[in-house]
Amino acid sequence: MLQNEFIAVAIDQAYQRRQQDAEGEFYRQIARQSPRNNFENTTQGFYVATAGGELLLFNNNRDPQKLRDLLRKKLAEFKRSAAASATVGALEAGKLDARFNPRPPEGGLVVRVRAKVLDGYEPTDDAFKAIFQSALSRDNLWISKAEHEAMLRGSIPDALQRRIAQFHLVDNTRGEPPMWTPEEVRHLAMRLEGGQIRGSVRMETEDGKRGFEAEMFGEFEAEGATIRRWDLVVRGEFWGDGPFTRGAPAGRFPLAIAFSLADGSDAADAIPPQASRGWPQGYLR
Amino acid sequence: MHRAAVHTQLFLLTALSILLHSGTAASAEPLARDEFVRLRELLQPAENELWRMIPWRLSVLEGQQAAARQHKPIFIWAMDGHPLGCT
Repeated sequence: MLQNEFIAVAIDQAYQRRQQDAEGEFYRQIARQSPRNNFENTTQGFYVATAGGELLLFNNNRDPQKLRDLLRKKLAEFKRSAAASATVGALEAGKLDARFNPRPPEGGLVVRVRAKVLDGYEPTDDAFKAIFQSALSRDNLWISKAEHEAMLRGSIPDALQRRIAQFHLVDNTRGEPPMWTPEEVRHLAMRLEGGQIRGSVRMETEDGKRGFEAEMFGEFEAEGATIRRWDLVVRGEFWGDGPFTRGAPAGRFPLAIAFSLADGSDAADAIPPQASRGWPQGYLR
Repeated sequence: MHRAAVHTQLFLLTALSILLHSGTAASAEPLARDEFVRLRELLQPAENELWRMIPWRLSVLEGQQAAARQHKPIFIWAMDGHPLGCT
């Protein structure tokens, strides 16, 4: 149904509810008609709207069967309505709000980052818990042109190492994770050696309630002035969780994080890194 | 074993454990290449996941433009954190 009958859009609404351009205005026009009409707070949920901006459905129920039933009902209503045959002009993008339209660094690299808890959960009959427990997360790492060039010369710049450790060696398998502060990165060493990436890392909060100790291994290949392959796996023991990632296994548990170059074949390759939200310059510094 | 000896052994084990975990270096086992290969494969998404077969757009405005052209309703999945990525 979503493949053929709807135009499917997926967004991090933290951008659209704030951005001052046509994209943000159209989103807020729709969301304003829902109970999520206070743009100081989250507006997350599922929306169905017409091209003219009329809200047909708002729902925040994640039960797939309930959502499917609601979509079927609203689709039938839409097809019977005048909106289905109405001529509506396509909105122009106009001037973009630069704060909320970050682009990957020109000449740099986009790297897919995926994390998975390998073991440690108690068995559960709860379907939603089971989904989180087996989840494979996804984020993107951005590498600048200067960092790309430095790796071609055989070194991993400190800023890139810090970015990887602080923002990408996190347990984001159950929701938005707390990132690491610079002080929480207790040990960090990454190096390139003959086509391999090796390293180790240790993070821990001041109170010791959350941490990650891990080893790294990876392989990279360059072709001329471009890195063609950059595969890295970080595997270690994680402990603790955050306000939006509750339900971690008790004690220390194995966590693996895999990095691989994005090639643009996946829609998610275009999503800015989670840690760059509203702060792309800070993320890349 | 004598109780004092057990206590001494426990003390030494505890002290060793504290030393191992309080250093500045990571203490995880080195990652061998075969484990790297196994985990790299394990952490790939399945090609046949239904939600990945949906042609998601990342812009509401692009959705509006397509909906206007194709006379279809727009479905927006709006989350804190991107639904296709880190949520």
